[in-house]
Amino acid sequence: MTATREGGSIRRLLIANRGEIAMRIIRACRERAIETVAVFSDADADAPFVRAADQSVHLGAAPARDSYLDGAKVIAAARAAGADAIHPGYGFLSERAHFAKACETAGLIFVGPPSSSLERMGSKIGARRLMLEAGVPVVPGETPGDQSDAALEAAIARVGFPVLIKPSAGGGGIGMKIVRMAPETTDALAAARREAQASFGDSTLYVERLIERPRHVEIQVFSDAHDNVVHLFERECSAQRRHQKMVEESPCPALSASVRSAMGQAAIAAARAVGYRNAGTCEFLLEGEGDTAHFYFLEMNTRLQVEHPVTECVVGVDLVQAQLAVAGGEPLPFTQESLTQRGHAIECRIYAEDPAQGFIPQAGPILLYREPQGPGIRVDSGVTTGTMVSVHYDPMLAKLIVWADSREAARHKALAALRDFAVLGIRTNIPFMLHLLEHPQFIDAAIDTGFLDREGAAIAAASVTELPPAAWAAVAEHRRRVGTGIGTTPSGTLDTGAVDPFVSLGGWRG
Amino acid sequence: MADPAPVVTTLGGGWYLVDDGELRWRVGVAGDGDTQWVFVNGQVAVVDAPKTGRRRAKHLDAGVMSPMPATVVALHVTAGQAVTEGETLIVLEAMKMELPIRAPRDGVVKTVACAKGELVQPGVNLLEFE
Repeated sequence: MTATREGGSIRRLLIANRGEIAMRIIRACRERAIETVAVFSDADADAPFVRAADQSVHLGAAPARDSYLDGAKVIAAARAAGADAIHPGYGFLSERAHFAKACETAGLIFVGPPSSSLERMGSKIGARRLMLEAGVPVVPGETPGDQSDAALEAAIARVGFPVLIKPSAGGGGIGMKIVRMAPETTDALAAARREAQASFGDSTLYVERLIERPRHVEIQVFSDAHDNVVHLFERECSAQRRHQKMVEESPCPALSASVRSAMGQAAIAAARAVGYRNAGTCEFLLEGEGDTAHFYFLEMNTRLQVEHPVTECVVGVDLVQAQLAVAGGEPLPFTQESLTQRGHAIECRIYAEDPAQGFIPQAGPILLYREPQGPGIRVDSGVTTGTMVSVHYDPMLAKLIVWADSREAARHKALAALRDFAVLGIRTNIPFMLHLLEHPQFIDAAIDTGFLDREGAAIAAASVTELPPAAWAAVAEHRRRVGTGIGTTPSGTLDTGAVDPFVSLGGWRG
Repeated sequence: MADPAPVVTTLGGGWYLVDDGELRWRVGVAGDGDTQWVFVNGQVAVVDAPKTGRRRAKHLDAGVMSPMPATVVALHVTAGQAVTEGETLIVLEAMKMELPIRAPRDGVVKTVACAKGELVQPGVNLLEFE
């Protein structure tokens, strides 16, 4: 055995991504003494991740297809910067087999599974068939080879309403449509195709029986080039809106030890069936709870997940560093026997969206930004004061991850941290999140994947802003200092007993 | 009994410490125009200076606008077409999500001021009613 430097054979790594995940990967590289190369679009020239990297290469215009989705440009950037490896992060090129293949051809280490695994799992349709062969339970459904409206409508009729139309490529719920009645089918197929084509460049669709009120529980797996495959337990991700996850936690309160173990073994079998290497996630739908729960394989995400910090907190590992080690040819830094769950972690995704306006994504400058700090509090973010949030990309700004001894302690820690998380200039879901975490069903851990779609509007409506009079005094002082504003009191104080802030300061919108 | 006037200490960077005589509050304020954003304990509000007469509310139903920069992915109506309240007129896409723009009232489309594939900005009419 020759002495290897930390990070194995990787010396300089290009990060083919942006935002918080690019920051996360840069941090892991720093700890392993790997040099970092950022790539960026016109919209991200001043972004924190570009400044944090050791080098940066401009890719192109703001739209993702001209920059972060252009594999040829990314590989050319890696060559120009002298990088020997590429980390794709999540989204963008992370699950595109042709990109992994192009990296392999170019002699670059792709930090992820081999392109052959991506090919087999990247098609969700192909993955379903493979899992059936490997004995992993899947949701009943159809994968029509004929993609005409007529053939898909026939498949839908055979599966029976309600059904879920899903794109074979991609993730994040993009292009997924629930159809409850036949007349909705044509529009749903058209919208699903359009969204799938726009986001993934592939409009292939398939159909599954809609399982009503399931939980979304996923298992983290990890394998290396030395035939080691382990699972790192579960993440519960049922709090999602239109298939976009909002809160994730671990452990899943609905999972018994025996079902947890069975799911772990199923996930390992799935990884082995595709010759998997590096970090991956098997998503399952969980029907019921406790020892009588049933689980169905949904898909395998052949990449690092957004919610990976939840596992890092509870299991006590660094998944990105492990990715770099395994990609460099090292064996896994942990064995199945060494892995246990300790305490409880909750992740809250902070989105630039306005819950009061139907969760419409927000774009614009962040005028003031401050993250919470403290024991058991972690924030992975890609923005700061002055960042222009662009319309071109995912609206997730940051992730708050908290870790404590118990679920209830973690929930209280998350609430305190959210109350200390300031984002001004654009609307975020933080006020909504404060109410979600206090919802009786969240407290009882009784949330299914449809909960936010059913209750989201009501929770948003209940999230009424109640500012203390002190806030008005601060606004008045701020206006005095910046020399703007009409009708503010002349001094730095506001007599709240005598002055109606609505009159003195004008209207306000919660 | 009137409350004592709160005492405001400027902390810098848009942060203010407000002592209301009983509790101390850390308040964040941002924005240097007629609109300020204010943060306290996870709550956020937008405060507008009093309006000086100009109103645009009367034009609210004269057309439809995009709430944000977005791309037009589908156009379901043409000039002269009668529409009913709630009918989907235009489908926009932004941040990978589709946003249907629906008719705010019954009416007849006078002009369509956007095209499929076009990047549209907020505050601009996408179509006008008669």
